[in-house]
Amino acid sequence: MGKIDELDIIEVQRAPSPSTGASFFRAFRETGRGLATTFKQLFQKPLTMQYPEEKTPVYPRFRGRHKLHKFEDSDLEKCVGCSLCAAACPADCIRVVAAENDPDNRVSAGERYAAVYEINMSRCIFCGYCEVACPFDAITMGHDYELSDFNRSDLIFTKEMLLADPIERTPLRNEDE
Amino acid sequence: MPRPEENIITLTVDGRDIQAVDGAMLVDAAAGGDIEIPVFCYEPKLGGPVGACRMCLVEIEGIPKLQTACSTPVKDGMVVHTQTDRVKEAQNSVVEFILLNHPLDCPVCDKGGECPLQDVSFGYGRGVSRFTEPKRHFVKPLALSPLIAIDRERCILCYRCVRFSQEISEDHQLVLLERGAATFVSTFDGHPYVAPFSGNIIELCPVGALTSRAYRFRARPWDIEGSGTVCNLCPAQCNVTLTVRDDRVLRVLARDNEGVDDGWLCDKGRFAYQATHSDERITQPLVRDGDRLRPATWERAIQVASGVARHDGAVGAIVGGETTNEEALLLGNYLRNTLGSNDIDSRDGGALSAGLLRALADPKIQATVPDLEYAHTVLLLDVDPVDDAPVLDLRIRKGARRNDMQVLVASSRPTALDPRAAQAVRHAPGSAASMVLALDAALNGDGAAGTHAANAGADGAEVRALVEALEQSGEDIVIVVGERVTDGPAGEAAGQALLRIAAKLGLGERDGAGILEIPRGTNGRGLREVGAVPTAGPGLADLATAGRSSTEIATAAAAGDITALWLVHTDPVRDSQNKDLWIKAIAKAGLVIAHASTLSPELAEHANVVFPAESGAEREGTITHPDGRVQRLRKAIGAPEQVKPAGAVIARIAEIGSSVDLGASVGPAATEAVARAVPFYEHLTAEEIGGRGIRWQEREAAANLQPGSSTGETVAPQPAASPNGALRLGTFRSIWASPEVEISPALKFLSRTPSAELSPEDAQRLGVTNGNSVEVAGVSATARIRSDVPTGNVFIESGVAGGASLPADGELVEVKPR
Ligand code: SF4
Ligand code: SF4
Ligand code: SF4
Ligand code: SF4
Ligand code: FES
Repeated sequence: MGKIDELDIIEVQRAPSPSTGASFFRAFRETGRGLATTFKQLFQKPLTMQYPEEKTPVYPRFRGRHKLHKFEDSDLEKCVGCSLCAAACPADCIRVVAAENDPDNRVSAGERYAAVYEINMSRCIFCGYCEVACPFDAITMGHDYELSDFNRSDLIFTKEMLLADPIERTPLRNEDE
Repeated sequence: MPRPEENIITLTVDGRDIQAVDGAMLVDAAAGGDIEIPVFCYEPKLGGPVGACRMCLVEIEGIPKLQTACSTPVKDGMVVHTQTDRVKEAQNSVVEFILLNHPLDCPVCDKGGECPLQDVSFGYGRGVSRFTEPKRHFVKPLALSPLIAIDRERCILCYRCVRFSQEISEDHQLVLLERGAATFVSTFDGHPYVAPFSGNIIELCPVGALTSRAYRFRARPWDIEGSGTVCNLCPAQCNVTLTVRDDRVLRVLARDNEGVDDGWLCDKGRFAYQATHSDERITQPLVRDGDRLRPATWERAIQVASGVARHDGAVGAIVGGETTNEEALLLGNYLRNTLGSNDIDSRDGGALSAGLLRALADPKIQATVPDLEYAHTVLLLDVDPVDDAPVLDLRIRKGARRNDMQVLVASSRPTALDPRAAQAVRHAPGSAASMVLALDAALNGDGAAGTHAANAGADGAEVRALVEALEQSGEDIVIVVGERVTDGPAGEAAGQALLRIAAKLGLGERDGAGILEIPRGTNGRGLREVGAVPTAGPGLADLATAGRSSTEIATAAAAGDITALWLVHTDPVRDSQNKDLWIKAIAKAGLVIAHASTLSPELAEHANVVFPAESGAEREGTITHPDGRVQRLRKAIGAPEQVKPAGAVIARIAEIGSSVDLGASVGPAATEAVARAVPFYEHLTAEEIGGRGIRWQEREAAANLQPGSSTGETVAPQPAASPNGALRLGTFRSIWASPEVEISPALKFLSRTPSAELSPEDAQRLGVTNGNSVEVAGVSATARIRSDVPTGNVFIESGVAGGASLPADGELVEVKPR
């Protein structure tokens, strides 16, 4: 091995060796911070909601369970069974079977009405296209999102279920919430 | 008129060079080059264009004004623009104009989703209207007929429906009433538009003005599937598309096949699909229990039916027209090879020798359906297409109207085509054979013509005039022959005379000429070719011993010689004229097996086991068109749980009863079995038949048909009885006389009751007025007085529910007012 070049020698600078107090602080500082947060939260209002007693409010344009509508004055169904919603539905979960109105015993205002109107909620993706497609504003997206059941077939909502007002209303979120 | 020659020319549309037939309309030429020009009123099926809607305006270089592409024939070197601003402006304006009075109630309109007006408005309209005035209003919807609803507000006055009624079906019922904006479609006095082909206007109407009442609000185009098959309700075998939703047939649409139906359907084919879903249909096996038929399990029903094996040598089978080739072949094989019986028949009027059948099947003398349109002359021999094969009536009218085809008629009962005919000769009912002999003799200048004509009860001079017209009419002659012509003992003689006429007229030498036999049953031709006749085996092969024909089977059964009767898709008590004989036969037979959807009360009383039959929409198999086109019935929907294919049932009975394996009974394998059994169907597969069918005469295997000549005994026909106060009995089966019509709710109003057609002179003599109840040969019927019925004859409707037994055609009967 040859002679070491002067320039190759580097000087290493080391930190001063810590004192006992400093080591202690270093070891427990983070624990202390964590505990401080914990203790601080003990006196805060909890964020957990007591679902199902309490429900998350939704924004007014939230797209939940559909509703079918009737005219308020005549009590006739707005839906004429045109199947446009079914055509628009990307999940193919609406089934409409139309029938002809009996002029003496009308169901809807037009010549036809929906004899069968079913939405399969377990397939619906809540896109709202059906609402957009409907030429009579007969179907709108409601706010209810509580759609679970023990049986898949119970999630096929019939016309009667969609026409009836949902029993429990979902709270709406205020403007600044 | 022979088919026109086609000259190909080149024109330029939107800068693209397009080849087209000279003289074709610009719309069609452009469509051939994938350029769409919107139309409403143009429909080539309706004949010449009318230019009523102006939707098809285009710019043609050299012509200052825009032209209607639907009525401008193309010329070589024509330069056309369809995309210029001027054209767009015109299209926008025409759409706006057409929509002025249109209610735009698409959401409740049945046409919505498949509406040309929607498509054209969307594709070529401006999207807004400047029209703010009130629109015209009509009461809506109204029933144009029990089958069709009309919404006059939606009508865009394209004339299509009116043109159909005036120029295609020529029933002349629909007209446009009033003028200007008040114009509306109606029958002239508002009576319901009931006609055999009325349903076609539903498909023709480019908007939702004419809609089917049976299909009303049933489904939208995106809810349904189309399933192509063939209508099996009559020998015309029109190609159809069934509209299926939720495994139910909801509608029948035409599936345009130039070689078969030209895109039209009759109302029976269009609406009788409802029979499939009728409550009155038999949908489970029934077995006799004491004096009643009771629902039974399949095992039990098969077990009872397999008792047929114990009737070795004494089994008779009648095969109905709806039976497929596959089913008939299976049954024939079982009967002939295992049960030792040749007694199988699919015809009602007696057997013809195998040699004659082969001679008649000769591909050279076979006319096709399109020949009916392009021939110089069509001669109808005792056939009325509107009842026997309805859609052919339209084809003949088309030829007569557009190609100046000459129509000649020789029949006993006046036909619907008489007004179109250059000559219509009447002969006595049941004397068609004498008529054919007379024609043959007259053609050969044989002196016997007069005698034969007199035997036929026809006027000798008229017959000679008919033959003269036939000889002078040009070479392409098509003879349409009804099954009646070869009925009865003189059938063989009539068949031979037909062949002689064909030879004399040189029908075998020309492509566009020939004979077209219209059988009574849908698949009459196919059943004959797979051997469901007593005299011929599969492929019209000679048999060592011939079996008995249907009437002989019935006689033998009534006498106890035949002890088991197998009735496949037929109810002879209803279909046959001699009901009493059949009632005796089924009452006497020890075992009566029926495959049926409906039963006459008599059959219900005597059948031992009834297997539910598949409906046309549920069936799979092949049938053969009268012109030899083998077509496929394709399963569109699942059959009800308890309904099984007849082929499978027959195979199972053979397996249980006789421990024989009949081979493939359903599906493509069964079709291949037919192709193996019938030499001239050789190698025919379901794929080759495809959606349009294929005429076996056009395949190489046609050469496998052995030449034949009549070997049967020829019996001279009986001379027609002279009325002498009594009346000669004739029968006819109306298009509506079928159980499907009776159990389809939409068609029920058309179901028939026995009627008797009388000439005014006879009616007056007997003191009968129209609508009176009369008694004919002990049968009560409603009198209908028709001026074109020749005196001395009375025509009774056969095939009606509740009809009674009748003597043979041509016998003298007493008609008494009741
Ligand atoms: S919200 Fe969307 S997925 Fe659900 S029913 Fe309507 S269109 Fe169909
Ligand atoms: S809800 Fe609206 S879009 Fe759907 S069928 Fe009824 S009317 Fe038509
Ligand atoms: S005819 Fe066509 S455009 Fe007119 S209402 Fe019916 S669907 Fe709409
Ligand atoms: S009813 Fe229909 S087919 Fe007839 S003229 Fe009107 S739009 Fe045309
Ligand atoms: S389609 Fe040409 S005028 Fe109607």
